[in-house]
Amino acid sequence: MRGKYAKFIMLSPAILVLLATTTYPLLYALVISLRNWQLTKSQEPTDWVGLDNYTQAFTDSGFTNSLQVTFLFTILSVSLSLGIGLAIALLVQKKSLVNTIIKTLLIFPFAVSPTLKGFSWKFMLNSEYGLYDHLVKTVFPPARDIIWLNDTFWAMFSLAMSETWGWAPLIALMFVGALGTISPEITEAARLDGANNVSLFFYVTLPLLRPVILIALLLKTIFSLKMFDQVVTMTGGGPGRSTQTFNYFIYQVGFRNLDMGYASALAIMLVIFLSILAYLYVKLLLGKQV
Amino acid sequence: MSLALKSVDKTESKVKVKGIKSNDVVGAFGYWIGIIITLGFILIPIFWIGLTSLKTYQQSYTLDLFFGPTLDNFKIIFDDPLTMGPKLLNSLTVGILTVVIAIPLAMMAAYAFSRFRFRGSNLLMVWVLTTQFIPPVVIILPFFNLFRAVGLIDTIQGLVILDLAIVLPYATWMIKGYIDSLPIEVEEAALVDGANDLGILYRITFPLVMPGIIVAAVFGFIACWNEFLFALIIGSRNTQTLQVGFYGVASGPRGLQWELMSATGMLVMVPILILSLLIRKHFVGGLTMGAVK
Repeated sequence: MRGKYAKFIMLSPAILVLLATTTYPLLYALVISLRNWQLTKSQEPTDWVGLDNYTQAFTDSGFTNSLQVTFLFTILSVSLSLGIGLAIALLVQKKSLVNTIIKTLLIFPFAVSPTLKGFSWKFMLNSEYGLYDHLVKTVFPPARDIIWLNDTFWAMFSLAMSETWGWAPLIALMFVGALGTISPEITEAARLDGANNVSLFFYVTLPLLRPVILIALLLKTIFSLKMFDQVVTMTGGGPGRSTQTFNYFIYQVGFRNLDMGYASALAIMLVIFLSILAYLYVKLLLGKQV
Repeated sequence: MSLALKSVDKTESKVKVKGIKSNDVVGAFGYWIGIIITLGFILIPIFWIGLTSLKTYQQSYTLDLFFGPTLDNFKIIFDDPLTMGPKLLNSLTVGILTVVIAIPLAMMAAYAFSRFRFRGSNLLMVWVLTTQFIPPVVIILPFFNLFRAVGLIDTIQGLVILDLAIVLPYATWMIKGYIDSLPIEVEEAALVDGANDLGILYRITFPLVMPGIIVAAVFGFIACWNEFLFALIIGSRNTQTLQVGFYGVASGPRGLQWELMSATGMLVMVPILILSLLIRKHFVGGLTMGAVK
């Protein structure tokens, strides 16, 4: 393409749509976050309140609670997804028919919609007729008194597990790809030097997987912080508010309490935090391409 | 390279001959246990939803594996009051419209990003990448108020506009990755042969990266199909999508009926499983936008 302006003509439609659908709402939220706007009282934003909406958050126990919940959920789902993902990857890394079939099946859970993940896990964890409930309590009888989604810890754990069900297989596939690039000569050399399976894993495989582990870690963290759908279909934020993630909290403030100013301030805080993670992710991604 | 591989093969076979011992038996046993656990982990929820969708109301409260299966649930979810038919149609319409708008825009932008360097092009590219990290709840807050003002609440158009925010950044990056891997010499050769710029794009470049474009389109469609928050807030009455209808099954006359949830779940899940099988080779690379291939 030699036309001097061709590139700008080709870029502008996409850029304009993205400006309108992502940057505009961000700026709008920023402006609204500085104003008072209770949708129950007024159709339009009212007075300017400076940073009141932001300072209000720190005295709101719902806010601090949602931060704790999100933190716990992120830690749990990230470590479970990466741990189980790595285990599956190591299991199916060799080329064989069975492993190829498993690798194909691994894409399924991620494609299942989050709403369905939530409903199906809720169904299977029911303490009267749930399949998972039954399986776990058969294998491990001391757990028989647990009502998964009525217990603050287990509800959180179950939520993280339903998320892990989708992500661990995907992360396993990412790791399988990376494991395939580790030259057999390296592992062979290590073996000749007397490395056993355990030291091979910790001193050869794991360091070589470091870049892809970092990418998976960041990607999963970003998505954990955005998680919303399963909270709605699985726990509804309960019991109490023990699974009210930050996203769910913003949704409650914005669309249940209809407090647009406060919800916007919360949303901006989430964006600031996610930007830091996104910055790291982009640096990793582009660093790899150069 | 082939030499090196051969020698490794030899050493491996040597090791194998030496070690037909208990270690291998334990290893093989452990491997198969691992495979069974992995299969269970991946498939049990899908299998259970499929099974429950064939059960009656009473049967859905049992753990029975064998029962007289019925397809009634699939009829019930299309009848009043659940009426999944129009919701299915809404989901299809929103998904297809979004993809049809997003993909050409993404193709053009991806080509420009891939083939031209200009001041700020890197920054612009990173900006496109980061827009997809903006949480949906941030996008929906302003648009909810804007759409109320201009009458786009509860319309297909409103949902398509919002879904573009999700699909366009993904698609642009994905297609850019495919154009990047296409040598520019291919285009230059065509230029020498006298083809004009647009001709090259439409007869050479885009056909050659068509697999990537299809993958991006399928991903875009899946994202729209699975999208819940926007649809819940914007399309809660006449333009309910399948996801919202699915959520609505929970508020039926008898509360959440698992057999109906499962039948609707099958409707939500099966088309997406088939689509993801079609693009299985590109699944990981696509989702991580080329970070991992």
